[in-house]
Amino acid sequence: MTHALVAADLSPVPGNLFGNGLAVAVVALLHIQIATFITGGSTLAALSEGISIVRDDERHERFAHGMVRGMVYVFSFGSALAIFWVLWILLALWGVFFVSLTRITLWMFVFEAGAFLVEIILLYTLYANWDRLRRYRRARLGLLILFAVIDWWQMFFINVVASYMLTPNNGDTNQRAQILNPTFLPLQIHRTVGNIAWAGAVIAFYAGFSYLRSLRRARAAAPAAAPARSVGAMAARDEVAERRRYLDWMGQWGALFAVALSLFQIWIGYSYAKEVQLHAFPAWYRMMRGALSNVFLAQIFLLGMIFVIGCLYFWRRMRASGVRRLWVQKLCFTMLVLATLLAVQPSWFAQTRDDVAAAHLDRPWWDGGLLNPIGNFIPNKVLALIVLMVFGLISATSYVRAYSEGRVRVGETTRGPQVALLALGVTVSVMMIVMGVIRENSRQPYLIYGEMRLQHQQITTNGP
Amino acid sequence: MAILARYALRRLTRRIRRGYRWFDERTGSTQLVFKGLYEAVPKRGAWAYTLGSATLVLILLQLFTGIFLLLEYIPSFDQAWNSLDFLQTSDRFGAWVRGMHLWGAYVLILIIGLHMLRTFLSASYKRPRELNWVSGAVLFFLVLGLAITGAMLPMDDAGYWTTVVVTNIPHYIPFVGDAIRTLWRGGEFVGPVTLTRTFAIHIWILPFLLFSFIGAHLYLLRRHGEFGAWVNYELTSDDPDAEVADRVRRAEPPYPTKRIDRLYAAPRKTVEFFPNQLYKDTLVSIVLIAIIFVMGYAAGAPLDERANPATLTYVPTPEWFYLPLDQLLVLSPQAYLIGFGVFGLVGVGALAFILLPFLDRTHQRRPLRRPQVLVPGLFLALLVIVLAVLGVNRLYNL
Repeated sequence: MTHALVAADLSPVPGNLFGNGLAVAVVALLHIQIATFITGGSTLAALSEGISIVRDDERHERFAHGMVRGMVYVFSFGSALAIFWVLWILLALWGVFFVSLTRITLWMFVFEAGAFLVEIILLYTLYANWDRLRRYRRARLGLLILFAVIDWWQMFFINVVASYMLTPNNGDTNQRAQILNPTFLPLQIHRTVGNIAWAGAVIAFYAGFSYLRSLRRARAAAPAAAPARSVGAMAARDEVAERRRYLDWMGQWGALFAVALSLFQIWIGYSYAKEVQLHAFPAWYRMMRGALSNVFLAQIFLLGMIFVIGCLYFWRRMRASGVRRLWVQKLCFTMLVLATLLAVQPSWFAQTRDDVAAAHLDRPWWDGGLLNPIGNFIPNKVLALIVLMVFGLISATSYVRAYSEGRVRVGETTRGPQVALLALGVTVSVMMIVMGVIRENSRQPYLIYGEMRLQHQQITTNGP
Repeated sequence: MAILARYALRRLTRRIRRGYRWFDERTGSTQLVFKGLYEAVPKRGAWAYTLGSATLVLILLQLFTGIFLLLEYIPSFDQAWNSLDFLQTSDRFGAWVRGMHLWGAYVLILIIGLHMLRTFLSASYKRPRELNWVSGAVLFFLVLGLAITGAMLPMDDAGYWTTVVVTNIPHYIPFVGDAIRTLWRGGEFVGPVTLTRTFAIHIWILPFLLFSFIGAHLYLLRRHGEFGAWVNYELTSDDPDAEVADRVRRAEPPYPTKRIDRLYAAPRKTVEFFPNQLYKDTLVSIVLIAIIFVMGYAAGAPLDERANPATLTYVPTPEWFYLPLDQLLVLSPQAYLIGFGVFGLVGVGALAFILLPFLDRTHQRRPLRRPQVLVPGLFLALLVIVLAVLGVNRLYNL
């Protein structure tokens, strides 16, 4: 099978490789944060609308409506950014690469564009007709589910392209080889789960931010305000209290998805890295033992922090409702902190593993070397990951149990848990950025792994 | 002539009736049949209850197809493959029956898994049905054991390497692991004795345990009655105490009404097992058997080349239902991690699975009111599915 990296007749745009790379990185990372929020958010909106129908729950309907509005605003900006990215960054600065990639994965891009069109139609239909469709709630739910499904397929098509760039099956360009390349399924599962977790984190952040803003406004207005004696003032006060109750509930709803679904990412991410190790070993080496190994440690730290902050939120939120016997949350918090500390131990005190070998200092630090056996991947980091998963699960379960038993009551929150929600959102966002940096840089010096080099966008082989 | 025939027939039926009366007087068979057929089952959720009877029917189908395979199969290291090759190529229905045995096992594992999921979601394992769950969970593991030992018997490449891998797993158990491996293999390496021992486990030891536990499971089911879901017990009147008291007073056998949560003592509406439930059970079983017939004929059961222990090129792959475990092994690349991951995590998980009724002691039956079991349960179920999918991906890209 000859591969179709056939755009060699185009000349690369002369320019600064670093500048071009930075431009694509900034736009791509921003685009990813927006696109993944819409993909995950559509699932959560459909889920909430479904629950609101089954349980006649007004709060879930309000949430679904809010999600649709939020997605429209974000989508309008995100679409413009995506078009700018394709037209001005990829075509102008990385023409040879992008034209080659488009030729190889043409159908994926065609389906991607088709899904994009359907997505626009569905989202704006829902946005413009939400109240009109109130009489046909099942139809509205159907549209939301269809929107979520289309989003998932859109992610599917782009994931084929993204995973193919890392593990291109030795340049085999037939459709089956592209779709079933070694890292496609792990990436698809990773993003399916991760997008919902990310949407949950955004929702938690928004809820926490809005709640704190409402507190600040109340505090700022307090000295001047007269006691609420008029009917209008009392109604306004009730409205603020009701909105705070809603925001508190929304924060919990988002935080649960952010934490609970991130628990899966430990195994899924591990499996993804395993496939990279099996099929693109130099990329894996660069990521785990080479120049990116310390960046990877930062990512592990952020992953651990998601569970630590999540647990802190659950703990403080339960305490705000007066729940007694919080030893489970305290134990989970301690274990999660310890596991994070163990997971972020560097395996060597140098930039790369090769630097340690070159300096002939590959012995433990207590023998005067640069190695740190406490930070070994196996078994120490694996053990830390298992502890993160087990105690993260116990923490979330304990919280949900308290909620289902009515011990955590909506509205009884304080400032602390809301600050934790802000921290959770920021942590997940930064982790996605770090992850993107690692993924894109691990392929270097290739754009399409083993096939096309970054430098001058040269094609390296003519295929097997 | 007609009078004579009628006379003879009347005599015959009288004799048969007398014979049956004699038999019934000694065995109580009529009472038994009536007891079996005319028991109350919850009216709502009847299709979900068919999974249990379908499991039993599929196990019996495995027994019958297994007996047919036994007529040809030779449990010898040299002859096992030859006998199956003969069965596949020269016996008129051999390949079909073998295909049915394989697809029957696949469908059985799927159905028993769904049955356990239904039981888990509806909290049917709670008092007084704790032992129903324990016996069912043991049956689930016995079926998995039968499936994996069955995969070892053909002594083709797949069977041989499955034997090598599976008989090596006990090695990772601390202290006694090597002794168990040696006992199973009949020595240090896989050889003729390994096959005869695996054969004995597959056709004698595990089926003996299986049918013993099926007997216990059915007895317990009949003793405590079917528990469908909490919706069968929902209160509809304004006076809940009176409604529950009335329901308990009118409770039909086999529902126990004493010493358990009164709300869940008896379902709101019941129907008789015959013909209502039996009809649905029969229909589902027929559909499943039809699927197995078709798949057994169309897809059959593969038989690789004769096992070659010296080969360096054959890549052993597990059966689909062991893919999550296989993926866990891949992610645990060193011996102590295998011991921890496979025997620590999986062992604790399996034990928690069997002992679930004793871990979840609350009276709550509604899924959303018992997140302490539902959240970890669904998390583990999803994790198993994800591991299986990742396993498929890995094997496809080998």
